[in-house]
Amino acid sequence: MALLSGGVGLGISGIPGQAYAALPAGLAASVPAGNALVIIQLSGGNDGLNTVIPAENDTYFAKRPDIAIKKVDALALKNGMYLHPSMTGIKSLYDQGNVAIVQSVGYANPNRSHFRATDIWNTGSDANVVWEEGWAARYLAEKYPAYPISMPAHPMAIQLGSVESLLFQSDMGRFGTVFEDPNLFYQLVSGTLSDDEIPPATLAGDELAFLKQVSSTSIQYSTVIRDGALKGANSVTYPATNLAKQLGIVAKLISGGLETPVYLCTIGGFDTHANQLNQHANLWKQISDAVAAFQKDLKTQNKADKVTLMTFSEFGRRVNQNGTTGTDHGTAAPMFVIGNTVRGGLIGENPNLVNLDSNGDLKPNFDYRQVYSTVLSDHLGLSTTSTAGIFKKSFDRLPIFLNSPLIAEAGVKVTLLDPAPNPASSQVRIQFAAFEAMRIELALFDMQGQKLGSIFAGEVPSGTYTYPVDVTQFPAGTYLVSLAASTGARITKRLIIVN
Amino acid sequence: MAAWNSKHVRHFVARTLFGYSKNDVSVAMSYGSFSELLDAALLKEIPAPAAPNAWVNTPPAASQVTSNEVGTWYREFNYWWFKLMYKEGLNMQEKMVLFLHNHFANERDKVQYPQNMYAQNALFRKYAFGNFKQLVKEISIDPAMLIYLDGNNSRGSVPNENYARELLELFTMGIGNYSEADVKQAAKVLSGWQVSGLKANFVAGRWYTESSVTVLGKTAKFDINSLVDHIFDQKATAEFLCRKLYKEFVYYKPNEAFVLQMAVVLRANNYEIKPLLKFLFSSEEFFTPAYLGSKIKNPTELMVGACKLFELPTPDYINMYELSKVLQMQLFQPPDVAGWPGQREWISSTTYSYRGGFSDSLITGKRYNGVAVSGKLVPVPYAQTFLNSENAVEFVDDVLALFLQFPVTAKKKAFLLETLLGGTIVKNWSTYTPGANVNLQQFFKAVMRLPEFQLC
Repeated sequence: MALLSGGVGLGISGIPGQAYAALPAGLAASVPAGNALVIIQLSGGNDGLNTVIPAENDTYFAKRPDIAIKKVDALALKNGMYLHPSMTGIKSLYDQGNVAIVQSVGYANPNRSHFRATDIWNTGSDANVVWEEGWAARYLAEKYPAYPISMPAHPMAIQLGSVESLLFQSDMGRFGTVFEDPNLFYQLVSGTLSDDEIPPATLAGDELAFLKQVSSTSIQYSTVIRDGALKGANSVTYPATNLAKQLGIVAKLISGGLETPVYLCTIGGFDTHANQLNQHANLWKQISDAVAAFQKDLKTQNKADKVTLMTFSEFGRRVNQNGTTGTDHGTAAPMFVIGNTVRGGLIGENPNLVNLDSNGDLKPNFDYRQVYSTVLSDHLGLSTTSTAGIFKKSFDRLPIFLNSPLIAEAGVKVTLLDPAPNPASSQVRIQFAAFEAMRIELALFDMQGQKLGSIFAGEVPSGTYTYPVDVTQFPAGTYLVSLAASTGARITKRLIIVN
Repeated sequence: MAAWNSKHVRHFVARTLFGYSKNDVSVAMSYGSFSELLDAALLKEIPAPAAPNAWVNTPPAASQVTSNEVGTWYREFNYWWFKLMYKEGLNMQEKMVLFLHNHFANERDKVQYPQNMYAQNALFRKYAFGNFKQLVKEISIDPAMLIYLDGNNSRGSVPNENYARELLELFTMGIGNYSEADVKQAAKVLSGWQVSGLKANFVAGRWYTESSVTVLGKTAKFDINSLVDHIFDQKATAEFLCRKLYKEFVYYKPNEAFVLQMAVVLRANNYEIKPLLKFLFSSEEFFTPAYLGSKIKNPTELMVGACKLFELPTPDYINMYELSKVLQMQLFQPPDVAGWPGQREWISSTTYSYRGGFSDSLITGKRYNGVAVSGKLVPVPYAQTFLNSENAVEFVDDVLALFLQFPVTAKKKAFLLETLLGGTIVKNWSTYTPGANVNLQQFFKAVMRLPEFQLC
């Protein structure tokens, strides 16, 4: 907090910090500057299985006799997966190739408390450690290293709402500017007093420093935001829902030239323990219609290549319905990544409704930080080293974006992900993504280069493929998973087997 | 025991009440000791207030929702509670009712009927200083709670886990002290209840049929009472409540060693809240100098407290209700079952600005959106209630000493003095000059716009 106390006085002077002429060291140059990420938080725990629906899976119907959604009603994607019937807007975007759906996203040792789980998703921590800074705040601290000593010309993060999310909080201060309406915000702030006194280094002084930082941020950015809203425009009429209003403001600010890299919108009501069918349908209709309007707006204004939407929720819900035609807290669920530069389609295998954890919940197929890392690197242009620094470990990226370096850099149109779990003791998932049709040979080797067995060999159409391998037959040690492809790819991943 | 002086007494009333007036501080001083002040005023049992209106006994009916009669009733209910807070004197019953409302946080959006919410509010009032264990037993079958956390219609064969989880996670033990299996088994014990109007009925046929379940390491045919008793036999339970009280009343980052001392007191008194509060508010810990002025007021404390400072005869409860929404503390509508997290979470760029808008409205008689606010401050007679009203320098000192728990710098004081004088010199200051009215308005606005005013 010492830095915050010291920095606040300087920020109040009214002179905005300079926008950076050159990219800070951590940012990679391969992604065009000025991209924005719009995050939609679904509060309460979205029922993933009734969102992206395995409507050809008998187990789904057996476990959800009263709340399952029938194939005939749902919107077909592929591989036996369907969208909720009210998601016509997102389905249309999917058909245009603008929607990537990462299936069964979660993390190890999932937490089923709303509050702890939300904190985990906001901070990017493992389940067993508590971090107090949001992952987006850590990204912004990297992007704006001079904050809070000097403030960038434009807001670093904008949240539509009233209570600032942990996502934007860090030891360096609050990175978010939070408001519901640009004009009203400007009017409200106009009476705010500021001064350049440095609060004492006491517990109460820390709280005062915090208050002063928020007030100086408000003073500085309320004008920029109002001006952005005045200059910008919406080219479509948004539905009359709260989320649509939020997204409409985001589009207007982007249209008005705001260079803010991260936006957060929120929609609540997903804690569907009872009578969930209507409520869940309404929520997804709101999201789907709002997102469709937003995408159309951005496309019309030629801003769609710069902006990507990402959804998250603190957990999915139990596979089995409960006794009140709802669902209790669960684990893994799909995430949507939507935008012009997204490589549309389903990523990862369909949820396995039989091989559940001891609580009757889905096992995750991807770690949520794989999605975050991908968005940071491939959309916001953060270097892989810096991305790994944000999560204190490296996560394999996923083929979510068309310009993914996974494709472009390798030039071999295929990527092999790290085996999971690793180390493995019983079963390990080997996963690869092919970006065009090709011949693949996937095999396990020991460290001496001896081939121990083939995992897969054959022609595949483009897509993501997962192979479970039983490793109990191999002695403990280090092994290599090797992928060779007709494109010339030769990729190797280390696999550690323990007993 | 902390020294008995006006600084400590102001800290005491600022934290335990919804703010205070000059008169409140003088009356508190007249008790002569914290022990007297606690026994004879703060923790005194007082009779239950009259209900807000006859609707509290009207059986819930869907038509009340479709006609939005419930909206009108909730407004009355809110105004009624604000008034109780405003008129609380030196008794902290309402502060504890709000603490319990925030602890067992239920949202009107889901509960729907203010009748149910009122019954729950009355339950909190009954146990404001009472037995916390008994309260947990009763809240577990409280109709509003049954509706809010889906205990209503939960069957033992396929129980709804919602209430069981929050009972353990948020109401008694805290996360990390129970397993997922405990949640599942406790959900069976808590099943079998159905809400019918203002009542909750137990339907034996909808209860669990196993001969026993295992919760927190004990296997028995639990019912709700024995389950709650068993939860309260766990060490974590007393500590959890004490930590929450500490964070509310002392400092938002708990001193764990002191929390353990509080837990000893709570257990020794079989979960009676009053002896625990007396222990807490008599402790050296509560008066630790570093904690003075370190609490960010919640919006209710801010609004009710600002009206008390100005000694408004008829504060505008409609204004408070509307602002409570934008300041993110609408009563009966916490953000979720965890309640309002408090402290820095109250503050964002938007809410910080609205706070200034609220204090302005008491002075200008206009809300941020131009709507008229009734019962606004009449500055000159109010200023004249200060002994030093005709001496500008001392008047500024007196107002700041009363209004702020956080000392301001000489520079800031000089700025406020300038604001008060509005161009004239100290020697010429008088509340009887024609311009005094406007100068006082500017001055009080500026004081309440100080970030220091947000702290108590």
